[in-house]
Amino acid sequence: MGESLQIQLKKGVLEMCVLALLSKGDNYAYDIASRMAEAVGMGEGTIYPLMRRMQNDGLVTTYLQESGSGPPRKYYKLTKSGALALKTQVAEWVAFEEAVRKILGDAT
Amino acid sequence: MNRAHFMAQLRDGLSGLHHSDIDDILRDYESHFADGLADGRSEDEVAAALGDPARLARELRAEVGFRRWEQNRSPGNFLGVVLALLGLATIDFIILLPFLCGLAALFFGLSVACLACVVGGTFLLFSLLWGGVMNNAAMQLLIALGLISGAIGGGALLLLIMEAIAKLLIRYARLHFRLFDSANASL
Repeated sequence: MGESLQIQLKKGVLEMCVLALLSKGDNYAYDIASRMAEAVGMGEGTIYPLMRRMQNDGLVTTYLQESGSGPPRKYYKLTKSGALALKTQVAEWVAFEEAVRKILGDAT
Repeated sequence: MNRAHFMAQLRDGLSGLHHSDIDDILRDYESHFADGLADGRSEDEVAAALGDPARLARELRAEVGFRRWEQNRSPGNFLGVVLALLGLATIDFIILLPFLCGLAALFFGLSVACLACVVGGTFLLFSLLWGGVMNNAAMQLLIALGLISGAIGGGALLLLIMEAIAKLLIRYARLHFRLFDSANASL
């Protein structure tokens, strides 16, 4: 049960984390995936359905850019509504996190 | 699992989608392998970190199906959404299934009724040319026109309702696999 709670929590905030990463600069999926895998233990393959969903929702757009080696890379860029979504989600997250910490603080 | 094995399983899981969508997705994963190898990892390591290709294919299918439906609300794309939802099926959808079947039957019945009204109205309209089946030609004309326009209006309404239901289902499914499709430890 503890494990599943952790997974659900992480999964819920994946989108917010990706939005936050992209707000620092455009990036490509491999780099996003390896950062997320390292930080929250996400399966790297999950990044592609997630990016596709965020693209469908208009939160990110893509463009191709020549890379030093091999074929051009697909870069993801935050859209206006993506930046807005990040702002809202961060506000919600902070409020939630504070509330939980308060309760946990009372308990210990 | 090596690169070729992973890609083959992913391709299998995506079969039936548009070729352009499949190529697009496969290219994403090919370049992931290329980046991973350039990063000094082995094919097996990259494949293991990517996760189960069959499960990834199910999620990708659903995303592609939803987008196709949002772009073009054709019956074929509606079928795509339904199949994608069935692909994601877990306990919640099994509970929903009888309800969905009932709904589908209802819609089917109503569409048949609409079609029947159009056919009936058209028959009445054309039979006027040969003297009509009723004594009063004007009445027959009005009934025929009423049937046809009623069926068209009803059909349009039906499509609108179908669209709203599809939207709800898509939203539900997204929430659903975002939060609950996590029986396996890797996300």
